[in-house]
Amino acid sequence: MTALTMFQLVSLLLLALGLFGVIWRRSLVGMLISVELMLNGAGLSIVASGQLTDASGTVGHAAALFVMGLAAAEAALVLAIIIVVAKRYGHIESARLRTLRG
Amino acid sequence: MQTLAYVTFGVYVLIILFGGLLAVFSRNLVRALVGLVLTLFGVAGCYLLMAAPFMALMQILIYVATVSIMIFFAIMLTKPPVGGEEQSGRPWWVGAGCVVAALAPTMLIARVLRWQPLASHEHPTEIVLIDLGRTFIEPYFLAFELISVVLTVAMAGAVLLAFERRQGQ
Repeated sequence: MTALTMFQLVSLLLLALGLFGVIWRRSLVGMLISVELMLNGAGLSIVASGQLTDASGTVGHAAALFVMGLAAAEAALVLAIIIVVAKRYGHIESARLRTLRG
Repeated sequence: MQTLAYVTFGVYVLIILFGGLLAVFSRNLVRALVGLVLTLFGVAGCYLLMAAPFMALMQILIYVATVSIMIFFAIMLTKPPVGGEEQSGRPWWVGAGCVVAALAPTMLIARVLRWQPLASHEHPTEIVLIDLGRTFIEPYFLAFELISVVLTVAMAGAVLLAFERRQGQ
């Protein structure tokens, strides 16, 4: 097994854990944590592809940094939405949210 | 030297696996967050192993220091009740369905990965930071600016949403 395949399998493991968590978790914060796991897997996979193949390593670094920036923006927005939902409904359980209309 | 690299990789994978399982299965959300931080550190170690110390530093700066603290604030400000939603058990068929739903796309990608493996270098290429900076200000200038705009808009939107009051309150 090559080094690239090993790193890709680790990122697949993170993807599987994140997908499982998004479906399994009941609260919105738990789902956010699982999404962060998946984004980490994506970053790891991109950097591994850049570093261990003929593709440009700098572009791999730049793409992974973009993923990190988007993850930070997404976490900020989801945090605000979670706070609004908690204020309005008194809980953050995804199954009990019937409407998110303003 | 190669053996040492494999041993280090194995240790990082164990850290990632343990942290990930803790993040997904822990009933306490704070413990789940600690599991996520553990996983982030494991991934940072993998970056170090790939000769990308700058990415490891960014991983710790952005993910561990920023995103985790933001999630911690989310936990703190929403006050999940003790014995609340994450505590109660779920029927076994929900768990089985979750496993199948998570494994189906993963197995598909793993199959493609094994079917057409890419030629991999034995040793990672070293990245000079000046080249990375030049990438950001020359060919990917627009994307770099756009990501700053997206971050600013997200932060402004987050502040607006968090401070908004419903009509009549």
